[in-house]
Amino acid sequence: MICQFCKKREATIHFTNVENNKVYKIHICRQCAETQGFDELKKSNFEMGNLIAGLLDSSANAPVGRVKENTCPNCGASYVDFKRLGRLGCSQCYDFFKAQLLPLLRSIHGDTSHLGKVPKRMGNKVSLQRRVRVLQDELARAIEGEQYERAAELRDEIKRLMESGDYRGKSCQR
Amino acid sequence: MSALKSLLEKPAEWLTGQREESEMVLSCRVRLARNLDKCPFTHMARPSALREIGDEIKPILQKSPSLEEAFIINLNEISEPERMILMERHLISFDMVKNFRNRALVVQLGEKLSVMINEEDHLRLQSMESGLSIQQAYEIIDRLDNEIDERLLYAFSENLGYLTACTTNVGTGLRVSAMVHLPGLVLSNEIGNVIKSLSNVRFTVRGMYGEGSEAMGNFFQISNSITLGLSEEETVKNLETYVSNLLEFEKRAREDLLKEARSLLEDKICRAYGILKSARLVTSKEAMGLISEVRMGVGLGIINTVSIADLNELLIMIKPMHLQNLYGRTMGSRERDRARADYIRTRLG
Repeated sequence: MICQFCKKREATIHFTNVENNKVYKIHICRQCAETQGFDELKKSNFEMGNLIAGLLDSSANAPVGRVKENTCPNCGASYVDFKRLGRLGCSQCYDFFKAQLLPLLRSIHGDTSHLGKVPKRMGNKVSLQRRVRVLQDELARAIEGEQYERAAELRDEIKRLMESGDYRGKSCQR
Repeated sequence: MSALKSLLEKPAEWLTGQREESEMVLSCRVRLARNLDKCPFTHMARPSALREIGDEIKPILQKSPSLEEAFIINLNEISEPERMILMERHLISFDMVKNFRNRALVVQLGEKLSVMINEEDHLRLQSMESGLSIQQAYEIIDRLDNEIDERLLYAFSENLGYLTACTTNVGTGLRVSAMVHLPGLVLSNEIGNVIKSLSNVRFTVRGMYGEGSEAMGNFFQISNSITLGLSEEETVKNLETYVSNLLEFEKRAREDLLKEARSLLEDKICRAYGILKSARLVTSKEAMGLISEVRMGVGLGIINTVSIADLNELLIMIKPMHLQNLYGRTMGSRERDRARADYIRTRLG
């Protein structure tokens, strides 16, 4: 059976989920499962609900109410709880309900990611990606302010950082 | 509770208002929200989990150099009136007054620095300063945050920053706010326009004791509304800039009032002073309004027999629970109005 996502590779993972008297079957190859961000796949079957929720979220044919019963594996909170209480259950909820939270976070804070302080344990791991984002911000401002020489300098610096072996972030922010 | 008593004996340091802009900026507050990694957030946690979280946090705070002169108040060990006093001093939230089990407050003498344990988030670090010293207040909190970070695993994600119970705090977890006094703009009916012209989705403007436009005592609280996508330094700088601009408008409004209606303005201010010095019954609302006028009088140099620090202290001491604590008994509304008037007369004496 061919993977429903890439339509190229053999689907090695098959899910059957029954919800609201409807049966959903999903056939996916390991690479697509990983690309979709579900590396929980390697751990256990409990993340199945998460995988389905994520897959169905992106599917145009998915009916309303499909993600109702998914609960965070760490604290047991559901997205319905969140909508009711306005608060998440634990730090893991942010990852578990990622798909639903992203549009909400975007509407509150704008389309962006964290640019502030980091805990000591993160050390230098974050600094390269963040430095690039900060420079990209500055680049946009320099262009707006018609400081083209400065903009060229920034662009070169960004390029240099991205091409250095350690960069692991997105290549295009804007 | 003796720790509480010693706390209440001294006025909070941020009340002493010595800075130049202290008349127009009553105080500023910096708050950081932090949580332990993987532990259920407060509202989700069972009592035993809350207790464990508290037991993990307290010794770490006790070891923090920033909190050397601080003491712990377990909220279940004090009475509800005592919790209300802490709330009136902005040290705990109303939620913590009612939900007090396994919740605690760690507070530095002088109240400049405090930590709420198990409020909406596991840790709420708070620093208060007089005037517009947001940068200073932030540095104090930042230092404490680093000290805690050495020993505690914070909930954090590279993309979303510090993870909080409420999505409106995620990212820096930083809320900076300033309490500003804008009687000039209110009197000249300019406040609505100015707020609209300075309108910025990144800031919230709220009346001090009410929601929306009803501002008691002409005090407004300005705070940032975005915590994700900008650095702490930017957040602090943005608020300072926003407030500075607002104060320029206020200064201009007062100048205009003086130019066009000096006698009226002076009369209004001095009458307010007169009422405060002789009234026998004063409600909270009336007191706030009168104190605001006297405050503006001090700022404009029209009144110089009372200081801003005195007025700041009045603002706290006339609050219901503070009055009851002072007089040592529960009082009904009319009795409080009397006590309030008595206290004001004594202080302005």
